[in-house]
Amino acid sequence: MDTSNLILPPALLEATENLALTLLASEPVVAYHRAKAHLESDLEARDLLERFSTAQRDLRQRQGNGGVMQADMDRLRTLQNAVKSNRVIMDYAETQQAAIAYLPEVNQEISQLIGVDFASLAGAASC
Amino acid sequence: MISEEINDMEIASPSVVSKAARDFAAALVETPQFKEFEQASQALRHDENAQRTMEAYQAKQMSLRALLMLNAVPAEEQAELERLRQAFMDEPAVSAYFQAQSEITVMCQAAADLLSKHLGLSFAAACGPGCC
Repeated sequence: MDTSNLILPPALLEATENLALTLLASEPVVAYHRAKAHLESDLEARDLLERFSTAQRDLRQRQGNGGVMQADMDRLRTLQNAVKSNRVIMDYAETQQAAIAYLPEVNQEISQLIGVDFASLAGAASC
Repeated sequence: MISEEINDMEIASPSVVSKAARDFAAALVETPQFKEFEQASQALRHDENAQRTMEAYQAKQMSLRALLMLNAVPAEEQAELERLRQAFMDEPAVSAYFQAQSEITVMCQAAADLLSKHLGLSFAAACGPGCC
């Protein structure tokens, strides 16, 4: 359940909503959402990503059981290369990283004004 | 299909984002919870008893650092460390500070959660140690 409406006083709620909408329209975040939408509409890319995740998971399990074969490693490497050469997936990953890298700049601006690290107060200490 | 909403979106310039961040900061510092937190932080910094108990606790912790890492602190030293921690926590300025911190944390978490929900990215996690 979203408790923001209950916890945040009206003026802060409005400023938070406005900041969220502004960030949503910022270049790095727009680029990320465009790339995400591209990925979601590309069945081939999604399937490749799914197979790569499954192969990674399987390999980790086999490593735990001590049963990794050369063929498993080769299969993962082939999928990894396919992922790396898929423009849609790479765009998604790169724009996501750029959007994530942009948020600390915004946090820094807020933190300088309030005199304390906003993200730490908001729970970043657990990261 | 790619959402037309995203394609048609007008890009917010860095100065617009900056203004929204400043407005947010201004709204946050105006809340009673933030004012309380600032007041409690200042009171803690200027409270000699609280500072003394904190220094005593920290000094003990430092002296036991290696043993604490090895989980090999003798029982009597452990009891002394706990006594110093409790003395620190019992100071009125310290408990007031932690109470105020807890209240402002709830508010900041709610704001960060709202930002994260809109963005589809975790604001607090993106700003974790090492990236801020």
